[in-house]
Amino acid sequence: MTIETQRGSVIVMDRRRGKLRAGQGLLQGLKVVWDHWAGSFRTNDNFSKIHGTFTVEYPDERLPMPQAYRNMPVLLFDDESGHELCTGCYQCQRICPPQVIHITQAKDPVTGKMVPAATEFIIEYDACMSCGFCAEVCPFDSIKMDHVYELSTADRPALTVHKAQLNRPISYYTGIAPDLWADAQAGAMKKLQGSIKRRPDVIGLASSLTEKIKARRLELAAAAAAAPASAMPAPAAPAAPAAKLTPEEKAAKLAAMKAAKQAGGAPAPAEAPAAPAAELSPADAKAAKLAAIKAANAAKQAGAAPAEAPVELSPADAKAAKLAAIKAANAAKQAGAAPAPVEVPAAAPPLDAKAAKLAAIKAANAAKKAAEQGNSE
Amino acid sequence: MDYSGMLKTEELQINIGPQHPSTHGVFRMLVTVDGETVTDLKPIFGYLHRNHEQIAEVNTYLQNMPYTDRLDYFNAMANNHAYALAVEKLAGIEVPERAEYLRVLMVELTRILNHAGALGFLINDMGAWQTQLAFAMREREKILDLFESVSGARLMCNYFRFGGVARDLPPDFMPRLKDLLVAMPAFVDEMERLLRENEILLQRSEGIGILPKDLALAYSVTGPVLRGSGVAYDIRRAEPYSIYDRLDFDIPVGSVGDVYDRILVRIEEIRQSKRIIEQVVAQLPDAQGGHINPKARQNVRPPVGDAYARVESPKGELGFYLVSDGSVKPYRYKVRAPSFINLTPLGDMCRGYKVADMVVIFGSIDIVMGEVDR
Repeated sequence: MTIETQRGSVIVMDRRRGKLRAGQGLLQGLKVVWDHWAGSFRTNDNFSKIHGTFTVEYPDERLPMPQAYRNMPVLLFDDESGHELCTGCYQCQRICPPQVIHITQAKDPVTGKMVPAATEFIIEYDACMSCGFCAEVCPFDSIKMDHVYELSTADRPALTVHKAQLNRPISYYTGIAPDLWADAQAGAMKKLQGSIKRRPDVIGLASSLTEKIKARRLELAAAAAAAPASAMPAPAAPAAPAAKLTPEEKAAKLAAMKAAKQAGGAPAPAEAPAAPAAELSPADAKAAKLAAIKAANAAKQAGAAPAEAPVELSPADAKAAKLAAIKAANAAKQAGAAPAPVEVPAAAPPLDAKAAKLAAIKAANAAKKAAEQGNSE
Repeated sequence: MDYSGMLKTEELQINIGPQHPSTHGVFRMLVTVDGETVTDLKPIFGYLHRNHEQIAEVNTYLQNMPYTDRLDYFNAMANNHAYALAVEKLAGIEVPERAEYLRVLMVELTRILNHAGALGFLINDMGAWQTQLAFAMREREKILDLFESVSGARLMCNYFRFGGVARDLPPDFMPRLKDLLVAMPAFVDEMERLLRENEILLQRSEGIGILPKDLALAYSVTGPVLRGSGVAYDIRRAEPYSIYDRLDFDIPVGSVGDVYDRILVRIEEIRQSKRIIEQVVAQLPDAQGGHINPKARQNVRPPVGDAYARVESPKGELGFYLVSDGSVKPYRYKVRAPSFINLTPLGDMCRGYKVADMVVIFGSIDIVMGEVDR
């Protein structure tokens, strides 16, 4: 019985179609099972056939994954330049439904401004729902979905994956999804070039590429050595032109001055880290700054204490100040020693180290003086 | 019931579930039995409660899309469709024609795999351990391969977006789909030969679990269960959404409302879905527009208001009710889940049948617990 409707009809299902004798239905079903059993000796790789096996011997053989397959997100970096495509724009972190992406944006160590790169990129693989939104929203085509599906592990904390483990070269992604990358390539590479221009120092280089990072450091040092050669007065020159000081040097100088002041107004030589050494590498500068600040703080403590209670200054304060000074000196020493420039053109780096050392020693001296004053009072 | 001449037994209350192979998940039935006869049955839900609706209220509209996959994990595409329709209704987003065709294509493929799987599990419950299920699963596998190639995942497809679908079909999709359409009639015919008028199956299903028409309507049952009871109600016809008003298909209905009718209705629905897919494949090349509305954005911010959108999911009417307060997150998000509502008349359907029948009746409703408890 059927009832016609506008596009199609309503069919009442016929409950007894065939006029089968008892047992015939069963035999008919058995025939189906038999056909499947007989067919199971053939392999079937065709979607239009319903008999035959189309399974593979899994651990030995694997089916190819479709390009669009998505499992866990990974981050891409450029094979040639070694630069990561990620700029730390937070788009993926914002869209992630289970909120498992955590990004730290890179900052310029000199100016403190945002740099289009991520210093840390964490994905909690154990809570990721593989929805693929992160890859979909990424404007730089940096985050892509990986095809690796054997992720089981007994080590659960290892499933909080950091940037170093997430990094994959673009060549890896073109291997698993050539067509998808072909669509994205032009835009992604153009944007990457733009990002690289705004990345100072070695920021944005994949951390696994130590060779690339070394090379980049060398390049930077060479560039620095070549450029400001004229602006390099003798280290003894007391008052270098202020305009040529980098912010780090300024800060170090200031810190040293302050330390001296705090230490009891003693006219500590203010020409502190004089030598401009414009190519002071950021890490060094940072360390020097830190040392200077530490020294200044220690000096402040030592200096401030006598002002309030000049008579009974405990020896502990003085000790603390001394300790701080030693630490500052050590830090400065390390800062000087760290980039031990073995293969670097001999001209530039010793200057760095020297300047940093000088600043630190001066700061330490100021602190020591303060401590002595505290003691004598 | 006439107990004269029978051994007098006491009524006994037993728990079936929440952990039981026949319950298709974590579901508990408080059954009162008199001997082997079920005299009362109380379905008890809530063992798979995951706070779905509340989670949805702290997510943005798009972030909820992958969560809808996890409602009825057999039919991620149909869930996506209902949710996308609701948000599009709320925000007034247009969908290009081609995207509509792609959506219908995916949803009808979902219907095929759902019914194949549901029948497999039902036969499993009857005791034909894994035979029909294995045959059904391999057809399902082919469809899942297609889903994987287009959406990236087999079950949690997350394929729909507001204003279209996530990506267009890959180049190898259509040839494989056409192969599948060749295989489909052979598969359904073979399934019919295996099941239909099989004496054991008839004994287990004929006259079992009868749900009369008026009772089915009173319980607001939908989907194949309602159609098995003889009510020709299909939302694709009753309130055509998407492009269903352009497609020809028949609505199969049963006459008695027992388990056997539900089996027959599902078998026929596979055929009708295949028919719809053939029409979609024929009309797709002429469809206008791309796979997504270029104006649709990721962060929708619908105006203040509410919307209810429903689709004919393979299990019945799946609806999403959304209330917007004008922000990027839904103020209220409510799912009208077919599995949940189809499960409510279970007590009435099982009363008077044997315990072994109860498992079959339960299987014939075709539920997924992810959708029942949410």
